[in-house]
Order: sequence, then C-alpha cells, then structure tokens
Amino acid sequence: MYEPKIVAFLCTWCSYTGADTAGIARLKSPANLRAIRVPCSGRVSSELVMRAFNQGADGVLVLGCHIGECHYDTGNHRAAKRIPTLKALMTFAGLEPERLHLDWVSASEGERFSRITTEFVNAVRSLGPISWRVAPERVLTLGRGLASAEPVPYLESDCAGKTDAIRAKAKELLASGEVSCVIGYEVGSRGRTHPAFIYHDNDVERLVWNPDCTHNLTTYLPDKVSVSGALMAAHRKSSPKPVAVVVKPCDARAVNVMLAENRFPREKVHVIGVTCEGVRTEDGNLQTRCMTCEERTPVVYDTLIGEAPATFVHHPSSIVAENITTLEAASPAERMEYWLSQFDRCIRCYACRQACPMCECPTCLFERDDSLWVGLGIGVNQKRTFHLGRAYHLAGRCVGCDQCEQACPMDIPISLLNQRLAQEIEKSFGHRAGMQAISSPVVTVLAGEYKEG
Amino acid sequence: MSTSQTINKTWLISQEALENWLDSLAKARSLIAPRDVDGVLLYRPVENSNQIKWGFTRPVLSAKEVFFPSTERLLKIEKTNQHVTLLETLPEGQTVIFGLRPCDARGLQALDALFIKHTPTDPYYARRRENTAIIGLACKEMGPTCFCTSVGGAPDDSDGMDVMLYETEDSYLVRAMTEKGLALIPQTEWPLTEEVPAPAKMDAPLYSLPQQNSWPAHFNANYWEHVSERCLSCRVCAYVCPTCRCFVIRDESLTAPGQFERIRCWDSCNGANYRRIAGGHRPRSEKGERLRNRFYCKFYYYAEQYDLGEETSACTGCGRCVDSCPVNIDITEVLTELGRLA
Repeated sequence: MYEPKIVAFLCTWCSYTGADTAGIARLKSPANLRAIRVPCSGRVSSELVMRAFNQGADGVLVLGCHIGECHYDTGNHRAAKRIPTLKALMTFAGLEPERLHLDWVSASEGERFSRITTEFVNAVRSLGPISWRVAPERVLTLGRGLASAEPVPYLESDCAGKTDAIRAKAKELLASGEVSCVIGYEVGSRGRTHPAFIYHDNDVERLVWNPDCTHNLTTYLPDKVSVSGALMAAHRKSSPKPVAVVVKPCDARAVNVMLAENRFPREKVHVIGVTCEGVRTEDGNLQTRCMTCEERTPVVYDTLIGEAPATFVHHPSSIVAENITTLEAASPAERMEYWLSQFDRCIRCYACRQACPMCECPTCLFERDDSLWVGLGIGVNQKRTFHLGRAYHLAGRCVGCDQCEQACPMDIPISLLNQRLAQEIEKSFGHRAGMQAISSPVVTVLAGEYKEG
Repeated sequence: MSTSQTINKTWLISQEALENWLDSLAKARSLIAPRDVDGVLLYRPVENSNQIKWGFTRPVLSAKEVFFPSTERLLKIEKTNQHVTLLETLPEGQTVIFGLRPCDARGLQALDALFIKHTPTDPYYARRRENTAIIGLACKEMGPTCFCTSVGGAPDDSDGMDVMLYETEDSYLVRAMTEKGLALIPQTEWPLTEEVPAPAKMDAPLYSLPQQNSWPAHFNANYWEHVSERCLSCRVCAYVCPTCRCFVIRDESLTAPGQFERIRCWDSCNGANYRRIAGGHRPRSEKGERLRNRFYCKFYYYAEQYDLGEETSACTGCGRCVDSCPVNIDITEVLTELGRLA
C-alpha cells in the first residue's frame, strides 16, 4: 500500500513539544512524518517548502504556536502570511492544495497534534504519489497556449509635447547642477527606443518620449544613486548628487516599493513622472499590461509631465485575469502540464531577473555556487524552482511593469504568475504594490535606515 | 568542401517527396527540425514532418543546443561502501537536423574549432557531431536583422552541410554535400536535375568590421562604459548566439543516496560573477568590461586562440542578439561605432 512521505516542520516551542505530548499520552500519530525541528514556524521559508517538494516529499506540514502564543511574538504571523501565499502560488503551478498545510498546535495539545497529522496524512494518501518532481529525461508535451488578447490599437497621443517638456526639465536639472544624471529614453539603432543616461545639459536633445518607452528605468536607479562607476564618479564631484529618472505610472510604483525597502533615500531621486496612455508592442497595438492599467498619472513624482488622459481607456476583461481564471478552472495536473511546458522553454538567461527593478539580491538565491536551493542545471525542475521562487519573492512587490516578460526571449508568461500572486496579496491583505511607499505584507522587514555605500 | 565537388549531384523534389523523406528519416533516427513551440520557433525533436514549421525564418535559439546542450551530464558517480564508480555518459543515437540555416552551420564550424580541432577534443561534442547529419536549407532572402554577408557568410552558403536544400517556386533542389549526406538520400527514387539554384537575395546592409589589428587599441576606449550603461548583464546574447561556448561544470548530488553527477551548463561572460575568483575578487566587475569581453572574444580572441581557417571572427551574422537584447545593444551598431573610433 502506498504510504506518503511527509515533511513536517515543527516549531520547537509548541508543536514539537506537542508531538512529544502526543507520544507521552500514547496517542497514535502516523509514521509518515519526517519531523524537522525549527526554532519557529516563521523560520520555514518558501525555499524550504519548495525544496522539500523538489526532493520528493508528497506533502509538507508546517505546525507552529497558536497566534498570540509565539515565543518570538510575531514569528508565526510570518508563517500565517507566507504559507498561504506560497500555497496559492504552488497551487497555481499545479500542486494539489491539500499537499501543503499550515496549522497551530500548542505544547499541551497532544491530541490535536495526533488528529491534525492523521488527517493530513490521510488526505495526502488519498491523493496518491506526487508528480511534482519531473524526470529529467521526460519528453514534454507541447502546452496548450492560453488565449491572447484581442489587439487594441495604440492611440496616438501628444508625444512631441511631452518630449519637449522632458528635455526642458532635464536641461534645467542638469544646468543647475541639481542632479548628476537624467535617466530617460532615446531612439537608438534600427529606430528602437532604449534607456539613455544624460550627464550634460547639451545632450538633452537625445531624450524622447514615444509609444515605445517600454523599459522600466527604475531598474537602474539603485546603482546610479549609490555607486561607483567611473562615469558617475566623474560627473558627481565630491558630494553625490541626486539622479533624475523618467517614469511612467507603473514605473512610479516601483519607486515607491524601492523607497519602502530603503534602497535609496527619497531626496536622492528626482522623479520626472509622465502621464501615460500606454505603450505599444512591435505590432503597434497596446501592450497587454496597458489594457487594464488603472494608473494614468504616476503615484509619485517631483515633476509631472503631461495631463492625465481625458478618455480613460480601460479594458475590464483583462486577458491576464481571464487566463488566470481559465487555469484555475483546470485540474492541478493540467495546470502543472501547462507550466512545465512553459518553463521548459526557459534557458536561464536571467533576463527577467536582470530587467526587474525588484530583483535586488547581490547574489541571487537561485544562482549560488553551492546549489543550495536549486541546481546548476538548465532542466525543467530547476527552471520551475527559479521561476516560482522568483515569483514568490515578488509577492506584494511586483508592480506589474511586465519587464520580465518583455525581456524574455522565449515568451514565457511570467507576468501571469506575478499577477496571480498580486491578486492573492490584494485579496488577503488589501495591498497593492507601490501605491504608497509601504513594504510588502509578506516580506520580512529588516529595520534600518539607508546608509551611503 | 572538396567532397561536394566529387559528389556534385542535384535532385529536384516536391514538397510531398521532401515530407515523405523526412518521415522515413524520422523512423530510423531522431529528427530535429524547426517547430512552433507555443508561438516560439525552436529546433526541437519532431516525430514526423507534420510537426515541422514550414516557411520559417530563423529559430530563436541557434542549433548550438543540439550539439552543446544547455545542460549535459558528463559522468555519473556512484558511491558504494568502499568504492566510487565513475560512469561515462557519452551521448548515444543517430540524429538528423533538418532546416539548418547557413549562419548556424557556420556557427558549428566555430564551435568545432574549439571543441574538436583544439586538443584535447571534447568527446561529448565530437560524438554528437559525428552522430548527426545536417540537412541545410538556404535562405531565400535575408531577414531584417541578418548580416551574414558582412561577416563572410551568405544566405545560401552550403558550407558545413551534409545535404543542402534550395527552395524553388514549388519544389526543392537537393544537393548532397558529403558522403554522410549522400547516404541519407533515396537516390533511386528522386529525379536528377541539371537545374542550378537561383542566388539568394543579398540586399541587407553591409557593415564593415574593424580591422583585426585595430582591436587592441579600443580596449580602453570610454565607449565600452557608455554602450554598456544600459546593459542589464543578463545572458540572452550569449545563450542565443550560435558560437558563444562558455560553460560551467559542477558536481551535484542526485536524489538517490550515494549518487552524484557531474554536469556542464551554459555560462556567459556577461554574468556579474563569471570572472569571480578566490577571495571574491572580480577582475571584470564593471558592466563595460564584461560587454567588451563579449565583443573581443567574438571578433579578436577567438580567431587568435583557435583555428577558424580564413575567418577572423566567430560571429556568423545571424542577428539573434540584435533581436533578443532587451535594451537594444546592437552588435552592428557597436561594430560601426568602433570602426568610427579607429
């Protein structure tokens, strides 16, 4: 008979002791549990759970102290926020939701420990062996592509006026010495628009505003504000000056998240906010993300360019929301098949991560030399771990600027994962990333002020 | 190639005959061909000719991954009590690629220079090369970002192919280029022809490469820092490139106890930690230094280090990096700018 392998993370103060209590009382508990004693349920990171599944666990159980009884005051609050969010993500990626469970057991509740573990093991047993871990040699079937959006033509707007205003402001800021650099857009080879870095007021004519200003320039901000490079050093003289950046409304939300996370002090950045009618794809249609965008004026700015569009073009039947609904209506096996077929194309080039203004770790968790959380291989298991791990790290932080998907050479629908998590965070916590300079509710906040260098 | 002179046979076949041929090839060996994978064109295994994407331009990834896969097991390690056993894992099986474009075939020659001609020979790559027959397909015209003609190639170049196909109005001209290719062709079934393929349209702009001896002078140019300012340090350009061949090797444990594998995976000099050495020092810590290395490797170091024959660069002009770069770092623009510096 099939017996599931269960990894149980037990908080040392309550649940582990609760397991002891069950044993002393000679209550029956299933032998399927591989108990791992952790100092607190708040210690159980998303990586630990994902690693357990990657290594072949059929189910993962996280048990901690009841809310209000945490020996570290709020450690279990973290678990209470983290595990359900992770569960939503992994369920969306094809895990049966019954396989991941969070519950509370106090030191005296031997009977409760016995009951919860028995119920969990029974539930997992009835699901049968897990199919999460994919055999490396498995040949992937082609995914059924999801629906793509009805194209919405991009409507011409006053780009010339905005270009002039951006140039004038940049000239003023650089001439007065208020900022050392203006990060904006310019038109480069083959008529393509790309990021531009302007250091002299006589170079401002390079700056443009047009419907192809798709990049989120805030990605460059932390480096430009804090560092180092010889170019910056040459232009900033002794005391580091602020940097100006041109932002669209979606990009402005990224500025707020960065401020909340102390990536740089507010006064070091001059935000040139530009009202936005959306940006377009190469085919000349509105980008998918712009169809449902609700912010036409940046949420944070020092200078505002343009007026909010009078005609608010809103396409409530977002293709992303529809696709999320379609996937959620499918069975876990179908969802898994869909995502594996998508991740299979990934080549781990990290363009998504590098383009993302929120991906900030000096060494990515998934690129460590010791293969701690994910192996080096460019196989489907590793790629799924990377993408789900990255999506989780963006929970409540992703502003939906879609740079990841724009940068992806393999058209992996990365933003679908991010949007699903954004939905979950909004539903559970009423939080929308970057609307104000407030940290994500599921991110562990490390207190401390920004320090130069 | 000299063999093509001796074979010198051309057949004229219909689309249907081509498909039948590919179907029969797919029965005896694995067939790799351009395939539409959820809207992305890739060289992928196909079971029959119905799965092939016809009228394709250029797959997003080069055929490099067929010979030098993104992940490859070099050996398996088994530990039992007192013994450690190393198990060789050389690739097995015969493969045929259909629809290779001339730029990708040239890319393979650059990889051969490193993996085969430069000793010691890489047994994994060499075995794959040996076991794979290449059916090339000439491009009728150049794509918007193609520049093979600027780096010594041509859209109908048959160099490096075992069989070369040329599209005509409604059929294909098939030429056997090597004995390996000839062995694949059902010679008795197909009519021979004297027809000569029409030359491909070569109307793409020509870019001039900097002189080979001018590269050292550009090493300290400020240009690198300027052009790399927007670089994201991702690895797209290297991974889509038919000739970028850097890799990293690591031993990793398998889930079964006592079992390990040594794997080799793609790597790129654009990654921030590529050049990290003991003590954490990174000799190429700036983006500009890393991007510069990519260009020097492609256009200067490669030809200095390996035998590229008459070629001076390892760039095949496929234009994939131009299309994939998220921030529009355009190899043709960089070359033009460097030419201007000289």
